[in-house]
Amino acid sequence: MQSKDSATTSSYQRAALIEQVRVAVVHAILLCIVFISVMPFVWMFFGSFKSYVELTAGESLLPQDWTVDNYRAIIFRANFPQAFWNSSLVSLIVTLSVLFTSTAAAYVFAKYRFWGKEQLFVVVLSTMMVPFAVVLVPLYVTIADIGLSNKLGGVIVPVLFSTFGIFLMRQFLEGIPSDLIDAGRIDGASEWWIFSRIIIPLSSAPMAALAVFTFLFNWDNFLWPLVVLTSPQTKTLPLVLAGLRSLYWERYDMWAAGSMLTVAPVMLLYAVAQKQFIRGITMTGLKA
Amino acid sequence: MVSQPGDRLTATRRILRKPQFWFGLAVLAPLIVWYVWFAFSPIVRAFWMAVVEYQILRPEESPFVGLQHFRMLFEYKLFWVSIRNTLIYAAVFYAGMVPLALFVSACLTSVARGRSFYQFVIFLPVVVSLVAISLLFKMLMNPQLGQINQFLKALGIPPSQFLTSHESALYSVIGVDIWKALGFYVVILTAGMLNIPEEMYDAAKVDGAGIWQRFWRVTLPLLGHTLTLVSVLIVMHGLQVFTQVVVMPSQPGGPGNATYVLNLLVYNEAFTNLRFGFATATAFTLFLFVFLITVVQLRLLRPSWSY
Repeated sequence: MQSKDSATTSSYQRAALIEQVRVAVVHAILLCIVFISVMPFVWMFFGSFKSYVELTAGESLLPQDWTVDNYRAIIFRANFPQAFWNSSLVSLIVTLSVLFTSTAAAYVFAKYRFWGKEQLFVVVLSTMMVPFAVVLVPLYVTIADIGLSNKLGGVIVPVLFSTFGIFLMRQFLEGIPSDLIDAGRIDGASEWWIFSRIIIPLSSAPMAALAVFTFLFNWDNFLWPLVVLTSPQTKTLPLVLAGLRSLYWERYDMWAAGSMLTVAPVMLLYAVAQKQFIRGITMTGLKA
Repeated sequence: MVSQPGDRLTATRRILRKPQFWFGLAVLAPLIVWYVWFAFSPIVRAFWMAVVEYQILRPEESPFVGLQHFRMLFEYKLFWVSIRNTLIYAAVFYAGMVPLALFVSACLTSVARGRSFYQFVIFLPVVVSLVAISLLFKMLMNPQLGQINQFLKALGIPPSQFLTSHESALYSVIGVDIWKALGFYVVILTAGMLNIPEEMYDAAKVDGAGIWQRFWRVTLPLLGHTLTLVSVLIVMHGLQVFTQVVVMPSQPGGPGNATYVLNLLVYNEAFTNLRFGFATATAFTLFLFVFLITVVQLRLLRPSWSY
């Protein structure tokens, strides 16, 4: 009887030990992945403060002589401030517009009843199926026709509405009880009041996620700005950054500094709004 | 006079509906105008462009050429090169991403402590601008000076030519893409895995299933919907690569045509060679791939159950 007891204890102990080892191994694997994810950025950060000679010698990760010459050159010679302003303008305007249009459209699609509603929604959604390459040329012709080629407006106008945003917000608003809205209507509230005082405050979580996505997408977008914006005054950050390849041929110190300037605002935004990012992705992932 | 309750209800409804009509109109009218102008009509115009010889200065005089663009495409060597590269890209990206993302998600799901920290860091490359990442890895992958080769040397692994060689360029670009996008799919999959009821695992444990069996017999089947979504997204992502093949090689699509993909062909035909009709016809072949592969995946993968 006693021996059986000690046998179970030792097998419990063994199971607990195995479990501990397993958890340790998993943490080790995850730490490796963390290392691989972070190291290139660490290298880029320190590299941007090195001189060209020191960077290409590649002896130590930390700079021996910290220098901001790269940043100075980039800011004053490569038109970065203008590009920074252009990118900020595009990203902010588009984000505000998408937030408003998506939430309003989603409210109507989720809570109104009218003829052809579902058909309209499906038609709107179907535009997501078409790869951007298909509309690349025709959309360019449309934008050129209304005189927006080589203007920031040409980048902004085609993304004032977001199909993804309407879809995301509708998914969320369908879950809000209609009684709340009806109660407001019976009390004589206007639709605008209901929208701005009930719907928007209730959907602040998905709106934050949508805002973060939209901002990022437009901050990083490359193909469409490349097509529309041709003069140095109108170019956005990714275009100017890609231009460093020919402006500073194989000058890795310059590239590192330019990349840092492009990436820094995004990293800050990410550090502040980390939760919204993750929540936004999981929200779309699980509802589909 | 006694009014019927039914009458009163419809009357009330009508009163409640009236402000909704104006609000709905104010929202939907601009939406419809914008979608017709900037979404539907470009799509319709794309169909037209693909079958005419588009005249940039006088579009309305573009002559109809039928399927001639597609016939030209089939005889165009660069087209076949791009198709080959695009399909290899999508396939290798898929084959690398799916197991890796599943593995990392399974690791994340099985630890309670530190999960949000790990997620925070693994997601970092996703938010960073693709052009910056491309430049960064162009530096790290330099065959002589790059850190990756120095690292490989330290581990005793033979160095690679990466982006400068015909053989390895495409795979180098794919590798960077996997590095950058991994966090995105990991976050979706982890959420899906955490959504699986704990009792399922307990039941499997009681039945004596090990970690490996639990993964194959519980996690994967119950992940169905999430996995389908991720699978579709990964294929679309792979087929539509563009920025990296422009920024990373010494010239777009290079070296030679080693990283020349369909999106780049569309872009170059349109805005370098100014053949708008031909470029749009090329884009439709990309559409065809995206569409067919997505439909097949939805047929094969979408589970018939839900919680």
